[in-house]
Amino acid sequence: MVDLLPFLVSGLGIGAVYALSGVGLVVLYRSSGVLNFAFGALGAIGAYVAWSLLDEDWPQWLAWASAVGTAMVLSLAYGRLLAPRLSHRDPTIRSIGTLGFALIVMGFTEWYWGAQPRRLVLPTDAEALEFADVRLTYTRVLGLALALAMMAGIGLLLSRTRIGLKMRALANDRDLSALLGLRVLQVDTVAWVLSGAFAGVCGLLLANIVRLQATLLTFLVIPAFAAAIMGRLNSLPVTVAAGISIGVLEALAITVPGFAPYRTAVPFLVALAAILFFRSDARKA
Amino acid sequence: MMSYEQTLSPSAAAGPGELQQALARAASEARRSWLTMLLLLSLLALALPWLANAYWIKSLISAMALAVAAAGVALLYGQLGLVTLCQHALLGAGGWVALRLSHGLQLPFELCVLAAGATSCLIGMLAGLPALRMKGLYLALVTLMMAGGFQVVISATGFPDGGEGWLGRVVGSERLMMARPALALSDAAYFRYVVICLALVLSLIELHRRTKAGRSWALIRRGEAAAVSAGVNILLYQTWAFGLAGFCAGVSGALLAGGVGQLDGRAFGAGDSVMTFALSVVGGVYHWLGPIIAGLLMRAVPSLLSDYNVSGFLADIFFGAALLHALITAPQGVAGQLVYGLTALRRRITGRPA
Repeated sequence: MVDLLPFLVSGLGIGAVYALSGVGLVVLYRSSGVLNFAFGALGAIGAYVAWSLLDEDWPQWLAWASAVGTAMVLSLAYGRLLAPRLSHRDPTIRSIGTLGFALIVMGFTEWYWGAQPRRLVLPTDAEALEFADVRLTYTRVLGLALALAMMAGIGLLLSRTRIGLKMRALANDRDLSALLGLRVLQVDTVAWVLSGAFAGVCGLLLANIVRLQATLLTFLVIPAFAAAIMGRLNSLPVTVAAGISIGVLEALAITVPGFAPYRTAVPFLVALAAILFFRSDARKA
Repeated sequence: MMSYEQTLSPSAAAGPGELQQALARAASEARRSWLTMLLLLSLLALALPWLANAYWIKSLISAMALAVAAAGVALLYGQLGLVTLCQHALLGAGGWVALRLSHGLQLPFELCVLAAGATSCLIGMLAGLPALRMKGLYLALVTLMMAGGFQVVISATGFPDGGEGWLGRVVGSERLMMARPALALSDAAYFRYVVICLALVLSLIELHRRTKAGRSWALIRRGEAAAVSAGVNILLYQTWAFGLAGFCAGVSGALLAGGVGQLDGRAFGAGDSVMTFALSVVGGVYHWLGPIIAGLLMRAVPSLLSDYNVSGFLADIFFGAALLHALITAPQGVAGQLVYGLTALRRRITGRPA
């Protein structure tokens, strides 16, 4: 068991980002019924903005804030301008709509910054925890802490606050909520801004842990979907647990002889296996 | 199905005679539409090899091969409202089988195409099973996970290229090209061959749409309760639709492999499957013209852009905007708008109201 420990620890970093992305996806799905395919693209453009600002010697905190801000503004723009035009359609179509948005954002990012991969260095890279002979950089620790904190925060927001109640009501039945006097646009704004903030943070972390490349980051949302699926697009704690376990399993898979080249398939295999065991809540009404 | 509803809705109540007339009118319209398709594809097959240069004819071969796969997506989305995001992965699976059989057993090209279609048909049916008991969104996710898994596997194993062993990979020496059919060795002839296959597949789908399968799909789409009460076997017809869509993908993969000669394992990412779906919707899912347009969007438009030195990434922006446009205001896609435009033009010329 001892020689598995390093892989376990190194899997925590990417697992945390899966968990964080999963939470970002579930929040929006629970509050607006949209599964955001543009999540990765928003994170990517945010990371590129940060990269450009750092390149021009802006202060670090301003660069990070602009990254998250960009993702939030774009997410809000889609949520307010385009999403309402699809709001009367079923969740599949509403989600596929974000795919169009993802293509637009990804196309713009690649066109403006070029397809060449870059590396985004975070100040938290410099220091690391030594744990079981593995360097766990503070970036990864930060990701893990953020995933847990965000899960708790969002969980409380949705279950305990007024706005959380409104978000759930809106996701449940948009027309009925509007009829009851809920301010639909206000709730939409909160949901899309929140989701955008998650996308921005995840984009920064992934651009650091993996690499900064628009297409790659855009479609890196797909393994994050696996975590969200495990949480049945509903449960935040399960999503976080699933995200972290998927990351760890993916890292552990290196040790299985002959499986190493296929290890990135772990999220998909896990999600497919989970779907087989789903019960009534995923079924048709 | 749109034409049936339009012709039948108000007049159906008027009496049995008028109903018969309306049905006959719809049937003749369907026949005319099918003949138009054959005519258009024959024109394409005859004219394009004369007009296009060597680079363009290769692009057009790929475009027409991909149109076959797009026809499968259009079938599932247009007839049943189901979103499948693994069509390009199924295409890759079909391509793998075709290449493996061609290199390993030297089977005739047609048999390779059919085997590829049958394999993808089976996988497609399996992928569709969860759809029988889950919400539409989960089907999109299941297929997306399958596409993601396929991406990992195929980029690790690659496609067979004439080597030894089960995977058929060449080590060290040059990669072999897939043998084309004896009838169509040149690019121009192979282009005609692909267009004929496309015509066959589109006709097969039209045939389904106009017969019992199409009626059953329409009922299933209306609601499962409606379908069950009308005596439709949901399991059979939904799985059938998935199988047919998978068959399209497999045939498309084999045709693409024959056109290019070999396939690249890195070109079958989950992103490509997502793109195939998006462009099929943009092309139009209710008309046979849609898949042809989708195929052109996937291969010919990027070639056109690189001819004019425009960045291919701008195409992504355009495709994204087109997808949103198709979802929000033009559910019939480019094909629907073209057909509508042509009908309006004909009316203006003949001066006859609809």
